Amino acid sequence: MRALRKYGTVLRLSLQNAFVYRSNVIGGFLFYTVFIFVFFNLWRAIYREGQVAGYSLTQMVWYLCMTELIMFGCKSNIYGQMNEEVKSGSIAYQLNKPYHYVVYQFFNAAGGMLFNLIIYGILAIILGMIMVGPIPGFRLANLPFALISALLGMVINFFFLMTLGLTSFRLEENFAFFLIYQKLVFMLGMFIPVEFLPGWLQGITRCLPFPYVTWAPARLIVAFSWEFFREVLPVQFLWALVSVLSALGMYRYGVAGIQAHGG
Amino acid sequence: MKRIGSILKLIALYFKVNLSSAMEYRGSFLLQAFGMALSNGSFVFFWWIAFQQIGGRIGGYDFKDVMFIWAVASSAFGASNILFANMNNITRLIISGELDTFLLQPKDVLINLLCAKTTLSAWGDLAYGFILMALTQGSADGSAWAMFLVGMVIGGLLMTAVSVMAHTFTFYFGDASLIGGMALELTINFCIYPEGIYRGFVRLLMVTLIPATFIVHVPLRLARTFHPLLLAILLGVSLLYCCLAYWFFYRGLKKYESGNLIITRM
Repeated sequence: MRALRKYGTVLRLSLQNAFVYRSNVIGGFLFYTVFIFVFFNLWRAIYREGQVAGYSLTQMVWYLCMTELIMFGCKSNIYGQMNEEVKSGSIAYQLNKPYHYVVYQFFNAAGGMLFNLIIYGILAIILGMIMVGPIPGFRLANLPFALISALLGMVINFFFLMTLGLTSFRLEENFAFFLIYQKLVFMLGMFIPVEFLPGWLQGITRCLPFPYVTWAPARLIVAFSWEFFREVLPVQFLWALVSVLSALGMYRYGVAGIQAHGG
Repeated sequence: MKRIGSILKLIALYFKVNLSSAMEYRGSFLLQAFGMALSNGSFVFFWWIAFQQIGGRIGGYDFKDVMFIWAVASSAFGASNILFANMNNITRLIISGELDTFLLQPKDVLINLLCAKTTLSAWGDLAYGFILMALTQGSADGSAWAMFLVGMVIGGLLMTAVSVMAHTFTFYFGDASLIGGMALELTINFCIYPEGIYRGFVRLLMVTLIPATFIVHVPLRLARTFHPLLLAILLGVSLLYCCLAYWFFYRGLKKYESGNLIITRM
């Protein structure tokens, strides 16, 4: 219980920090708006040619608003921070603190992520309403379930990025892996719903963690069904567990090789 | 003429020094370039899926056209970030007072400042354009290759000019890093999607403040149907835009106040 309270305090402080430095989001707001505007134009041009994989244009634009929202919500720079702390050696100052390094980093970033989710959520709703109007058949009662899925998506993304960042314990250069991971998340669910992929690729994609970061929660928002919720939630839990364990494992493996010298 | 020769010599010297410094960390250099090329490659997948779903044209472009604009945009971005990577740091250099160092040197301040840094991963962007051209346009299409090279050079200069112009606002209004970042982001976004998806005001923006039309869309038109007048317009507008950015920077520089910061460039 005391441990939980400790991390609760870290979360509260990081949330307070996010509110204090709220002017930082102005740039993010502009970039988010540009992304949505460009993709709205692109998909409008695509839909001029016909229907796509069972999604209407309205659903598609809302889908993009939601996937971008989750990605902006996930924004935590954890990959860059891990690289920096490991390479500069400043991680050594945190090893003797009364908390678990990996858990601390999560709660320290969670405040900012929650803040992002709230404010970009407001922007996403405004942009979606202006561009295509309300989501057809949307029910507010289903929103909490979609939010659970979104939070799990953020957890999966955070811990996989942390794992990649922590590889700098053993690798001199890991930027290429970061780019590949990022693009897999973009292409397998964020820019294109999994239903758009060719049949053979859909099967493979559903076995990978990438679509469960944005595709699953975004689809629950634009086209909620209990059947889909029951299908994706256990898989999301499983990938969340795998991502947490991989971050913990990489941390343990990396810390075992640290040599600290006084001075 | 002598002045242009001196500028080109300076660019070539910086390129040589930056490249040999990158080669000191060969592994890191190759990994970053490879990662960037691979990362860009994922967008081919996106377009392949989109065209497969539609089976026709998007915004007036077919798959081959989209790959052409992607190739030009990627190589132009790569070239500008290899030669003039400091274009992204102009605001920081002005605010921190690091600009003083460049003012004291007997070389053109803007060119000296722009060339002083390179981005390793930009080699991946540059190479990606060539690979994409070879894979999607074929080696026999001479006009496509010629326009790709023209687009790459003009595009690289225009992207740099856009960035210089946007960051120069720092001299007038203080920190313009957001404007600088946004201007380049918009330029890239307007370059990598078919022109026909945009309408009205955005189309106007694309031929004026954010000259994306001249970076990729006009070279594409020239590659498909060559017209000497259109080429002359492309060259004229690009030259005018670059001169305007150059003039705007020097006009802003007159407002610069030194912070008397002492730094060492090694």
